[in-house]
Amino acid sequence: MELKILHFYPDLMSLYGSYANVSILKRTLEEMGNTVTVERVELGGDADLTHADFVYMGAGTERAQKAALLYFSKLGDAVKAAADAGVTMLFAGNSMELLGKTITDDAGKVYEGLGLADFTAVQNKKRFVEDVYGHTDLYEDAVVGFVNRCSVITGVETPLLASMDMGHGNEGPCGPEGYHKGSVFASQLTGPILVKNPALLKVMVQAIYRHRGETCPEIPVDQYMAEGWAITAEQLKARCTK
Amino acid sequence: MRKFLAIVVCKLGRFVGKLVGKGSSMPGKFALKICPDILRRVQLPPHIIAVTGSNGKTSTVEMIATVLRGQGKNVIYNAEGSNQVEGVTTLILTHATLGGKVNADVLLLESDERYAAHSFKYFHPTEFVITNLYRDQLTRNGHPESVFDAILPAIHPDTELILNGDDPLSSCFAIGHEKVKWFGLNHCATDTETSTGVYHDGAYCPVCHAPMEYEYVHYNHIGAYRCTSCGHARPDPDYAATELDLQNGKLILDGQFTVALAFRSIYNVYNILAAYAACRECGVEGAAIADTLSSYILKNGRMQTFTLGQHHGILLTSKHENSIAYDTNLRYIASTNEDCTVLIIVDAVSRKYFTSETSWLWDIDFDQLNVPHVKRVILSGMYRNDLAERFRFTGVQNWEVIPGIPDAAAAIRDSGSEALYVVTCFSDRDKLLNLPDVKKEG
Repeated sequence: MELKILHFYPDLMSLYGSYANVSILKRTLEEMGNTVTVERVELGGDADLTHADFVYMGAGTERAQKAALLYFSKLGDAVKAAADAGVTMLFAGNSMELLGKTITDDAGKVYEGLGLADFTAVQNKKRFVEDVYGHTDLYEDAVVGFVNRCSVITGVETPLLASMDMGHGNEGPCGPEGYHKGSVFASQLTGPILVKNPALLKVMVQAIYRHRGETCPEIPVDQYMAEGWAITAEQLKARCTK
Repeated sequence: MRKFLAIVVCKLGRFVGKLVGKGSSMPGKFALKICPDILRRVQLPPHIIAVTGSNGKTSTVEMIATVLRGQGKNVIYNAEGSNQVEGVTTLILTHATLGGKVNADVLLLESDERYAAHSFKYFHPTEFVITNLYRDQLTRNGHPESVFDAILPAIHPDTELILNGDDPLSSCFAIGHEKVKWFGLNHCATDTETSTGVYHDGAYCPVCHAPMEYEYVHYNHIGAYRCTSCGHARPDPDYAATELDLQNGKLILDGQFTVALAFRSIYNVYNILAAYAACRECGVEGAAIADTLSSYILKNGRMQTFTLGQHHGILLTSKHENSIAYDTNLRYIASTNEDCTVLIIVDAVSRKYFTSETSWLWDIDFDQLNVPHVKRVILSGMYRNDLAERFRFTGVQNWEVIPGIPDAAAAIRDSGSEALYVVTCFSDRDKLLNLPDVKKEG
C-alpha cells in the first residue's frame, strides 16, 4: 500500500522525542512492504486529512500548545470528518488536550478546543512527573512510559488506559488515562510511547490496515523493542510492589 | 536570639556533618526551622553573584571563584554543589560571625534553577548569571519554559542580569528588566546556517511563536536568531568571544584577550564567557581574567582519563536526561580525528531518583558518531536496548550491544589499542572506573 502519515507541527510540538512515534511507525509499515510518505505540517500550514492514513501530533510546552491550538482548531471540521471516516490518529502528550471542549490555562484563561471529545482540561502550576505502569483493555501487556503533565482532564468516558499501578492519570493518581474512541488514540504519556510499547504500535498498524479494508499481516517487532519493554516493565512493576 | 541560635546550630551542624561525612544541606535546614527569615537578618557581602541555568553552572562558578580569588578577593561559594536554599543557608551561616556578619568580599552561589525563587526570597543577588535554558532532566523539570517560569520570580529589579544573548529563551529574561549585560559568541568558522541536532527549539519565537530565522548557528538553537514577526533577536553582546579556533584551542575575548582552551569544546567557551562577563562586572581587568582562565583545568571530575588494556581512555560525563550535554561530548569525539572506540553506558538514569524514562535518548544526535575514525560503538547497561533502538535510526553502522558493563570493558581490553571514549553519567561512571582493569590517571 501507499500510506501517508501527517505529522502536525513537528518542530513546535517536539518535546520528549515525540517524533520517534512517527519514525517507528514508518519503519514498521515499510518493513511490511508498504510505501510510506511522512508529510510535515508546519504551523499555519494546510493539510488534506481525507487522504491520510495516520495523523500525529506530539507534546509541546504549554505556550506552544496554545499556538498549536490556534492553527489546529481551524482544521477542526476536517479532523472530525477524518475521525468519523476511521483515519487513525494519535495525540501524544499535551496535544491530547486539543481534542477536548476547552483548555483552561494556569491563569484561568479558557481556550476552545476542537470538541472532538467531551473532556475538558484544566492546567495547574504544579506538574505531575512520574513513571507509568498501567493497563489497557486493548491488549494484555502492561503499558510503560512516563507522564509529564500539568493538567487535570475530566469527562473522558473512554480512556486509553483503564487503570494504572503507577503514574498520574486524567483526573489524578493511578486513575484512567488518555482517550480512545474508534480510530482516535490520545495519551498524556510522553515521548516515544510506540517505541516503548510494541503492543501499542501493533494496535496503530492494525487500525491503519482496518481503515484501508486490508487484512493486517504479521507485524514485525525487533528484539530491542521487545527486550526494552520487558526490562522497563520489570523495573516498574518491582517499584509498584514496594 | 533566634538569629544567634540559628547561626550556632548551623555552625555546629556543619562541624559535626563534616566529621561524619554528611552533606551540607541539613544544618541550613535546621537553621531555617529555627529562624525562617535568617537570610534577611544577616549582613551579606557587597557582591552577591548567583549563577543558574540548565548547563554549565558548576564550571562557571568555579571559574569565577578562581579569577576573583586570584585578585585577592575573599570568595565563599557552594563548592559542594548544594544549590538549594538549605545548602545556601548552610554556606552563608557557616561563614558568618555569631552576630550575623558574613566575612567575605563576594558570596558566589550556584543556584538550582527550579528553586532560585526560594533561595532569593530574603535577599537578592547583585549580579545574576543565567547561562542558558535547555532541555534538561525533563522528568524533573517539565520543560525549558516551565524552568523559565520558575526562575522569573527570583529576579529582583535591582539585580543586574548577565545573560547569554545567543540563547533565544534565556534572553527573554531581559524583557522588562533594566539592568542587563549580555555575553555572546560572534560568528565563527564552525558555525552552520541552520539548526544542528535532532530537534529545533529555535524554530519558533519564544515570545510570539512566529517562525525565527538564523544568521548563523553555533550549535543546536544557540546562535544569531531573529523573529520574523516581533523582532526578538540576538542582542549585541557587551562581552563577546570575537574569535574562536577550537582546533587549536584559542579563544579571543573582546578582540584583545587570548585564552588558551584546556578543553576544546564550545560548551567550555560559553562557561568561560559567562565567567568573564561576571568578573568584568566585578571590576576585574580582562587581561587578568584571560590569564587565569588560560589552560584552566576544571576540577569538577567530568573528564577523567584512564587506561584499559592498551587503550587510553577519556570518560566524558554527560548528564543523562540532558541531550545538549551528550551532543557536546559527541561533537568533541567527532572532532578528535583519531581512531577510537566509543562506549555508551545507560544503566541508572539518575543517581538521585528512580526512573526508567529514556525518551531523552531520542533528543540526542548520535549521528555525530557516524564518522570514519569512530571504529566501534558499544552500548551497555540496563537500558542498552533503548539505546540500540535509538541507534537503529542513525547512520552509524558499527555498533553492538554488550549488556554487562564489566563484559563491555573486557571486550575492549582484549582487542586493539585505539583511543577510548566513554560517554555516561555521574550515576554510572564509577561502574566502569571501579573495575579492576581500569587504571585511573590524575
